[in-house]
Amino acid sequence: MRSRQAAIAIRLILIVAGLGVAGFLYAFPLYWLIATSLKSKAELYQSITLFPRHPTLQPYYSVLFERGFWVLLKNSVLVCAATVLVTLAVGLVITYPITRLTVPPSLRVGVLNWALSLRFLPPVAVVVPYFAIVRTLQIYNQPIALIGIYSLFNLPFAIWMLKGFLAEIPLELEEAALVDGANRWTSFRRVLLPLAGPGLMAAATIVFTFAWSEFLFALILTATPNSQTFPVGVQGLVTQFEIIWNDMAAAGVIAMTVPLLLMVIGRRYMVAGLTFGVIREK
Amino acid sequence: MSHLVAELPVPTGTQPGRTGRGGRSRQERLAYRILLPALGTVFLIVTIPFVIAIWQSITSDDGTLIGLRNYTRALGNPLFFDALRATGLYASIVLPTEILLGLAFALFVHRTVKQAGLRATLYVLAVLPLVVPPVAVGVVARLIYAPGYGVLNYVLQSVGITHSEIQWLGVPALAMGSVASVDIWQWTPFVYLVLFAGLQTVPRESIEAAQVDGATWWTQFRYIELHYLRPLFLLILFFRVADVLRVFDHVYILTGGGPGTATQLLSLYIYRIEFRFFDGGQAAALAVMVLVSISILYSLVTRALPLERA
Repeated sequence: MRSRQAAIAIRLILIVAGLGVAGFLYAFPLYWLIATSLKSKAELYQSITLFPRHPTLQPYYSVLFERGFWVLLKNSVLVCAATVLVTLAVGLVITYPITRLTVPPSLRVGVLNWALSLRFLPPVAVVVPYFAIVRTLQIYNQPIALIGIYSLFNLPFAIWMLKGFLAEIPLELEEAALVDGANRWTSFRRVLLPLAGPGLMAAATIVFTFAWSEFLFALILTATPNSQTFPVGVQGLVTQFEIIWNDMAAAGVIAMTVPLLLMVIGRRYMVAGLTFGVIREK
Repeated sequence: MSHLVAELPVPTGTQPGRTGRGGRSRQERLAYRILLPALGTVFLIVTIPFVIAIWQSITSDDGTLIGLRNYTRALGNPLFFDALRATGLYASIVLPTEILLGLAFALFVHRTVKQAGLRATLYVLAVLPLVVPPVAVGVVARLIYAPGYGVLNYVLQSVGITHSEIQWLGVPALAMGSVASVDIWQWTPFVYLVLFAGLQTVPRESIEAAQVDGATWWTQFRYIELHYLRPLFLLILFFRVADVLRVFDHVYILTGGGPGTATQLLSLYIYRIEFRFFDGGQAAALAVMVLVSISILYSLVTRALPLERA
């Protein structure tokens, strides 16, 4: 009996220890990023301190204004907002007919499969031709190049998410409007869109988050701060000759703050978005 | 009113409303009118680069046809096989680790945490790493592993595990481990979320019946829960493999592919060929080969995915 109790106790200790280690590995990187971003320049040149001795917001000021990163922040917001608009508009145009109109099932399946296959497309494989196209169209170093490419790469998510949301809205509601004499456009705008509002919002936050994080295309297709996005700026702080750790950390914190804020709205749909609706909201 | 009725939407699956044998209903025509321009445009935007890539891969810079020379050069480059090996190694570290850890957490939380509030908190904590931009995660990793200012060496030295400075990013095996650890940190929660959601779909009756029969937690997992999770494992593998092939950001930030070519994954390799060596022909050949392999892989696995296509 005693040995059994001992076994249970040991197992409990192992579980608690395991959870402790996991929790530490999960949280410490984030803590360390924030802690470093609050250190003063003087503190960097002393030995490493686990807690900032004199917490300061100076690194944030330095990144945003002395280094002028607020321009990159503005570019990022502009590119992401435009991407959201284009992606949702195209996504609606593609999902409306396959969810609200009578179409052969094979068409619906074909469209969805095709969208899924786009998700599998590795960006680096199309970087080479896109670079050539962007230069030919003379939109190199312009936000429009990024907006186009981000919209394309986020379209699969948008199509699958919108398909899920639109399919849940009863057809009868639109039918009622049609019977009352509204045409399809009016019933789409007045009946369907408001009902799909929360779904559109969720898709918008997720597309915005993905576009916000994108780095490869932004690195390749932009060259000057006038059009670079925030992640490119962060990268510049990392690869320069002398790394200013607190500025770099502050830039990292800013880069992740925006998606974290959006997550407050979109968290319930995040997993549904990432898994193309296999895992529904809980 | 009868002409109006014909316009009304009908439940999907059935096909009334057709105007005649083989003819298309008004709705169907409307659907095509909306769909075709949009799909056509997107299709062109996707396909044109592919055609350009093929064209670039069989021509030299001045536009003359050179056959498959770019392909033989690409395949003859030993760095290409280094990149394939690095990508394979990376995948074989991160995929099993993420799946096993994610599964362990999902089972643990499913069995022990019953409070809805705590489960919701864990959900939010698990979503958090997924939305952090990989560039920011790369910055964090840099703060941890970097020579000189990395906190990991500081911690190891102050607890007395090591006295010398460990070159986390300077030794090939350690660099690969460091780069992989970033992926594991960011994506294990994804596996957890998917599998945890899967466990919620296991009917409570079958679990209770098994427990009455004296099933241990292992037999309960092995013979009941695993059955429900199997399609989800496939799904996870599908998405994670697709993601491993596109990993770029955090590796670029953390090691830049080094030391040597130790962490130069396929995506970093193609980037380097195009934008560091300015060898557009070889890069295009690589891109075409990647696209073709991905298409084959995709068509093989896509039908097995548990996706709701209806």
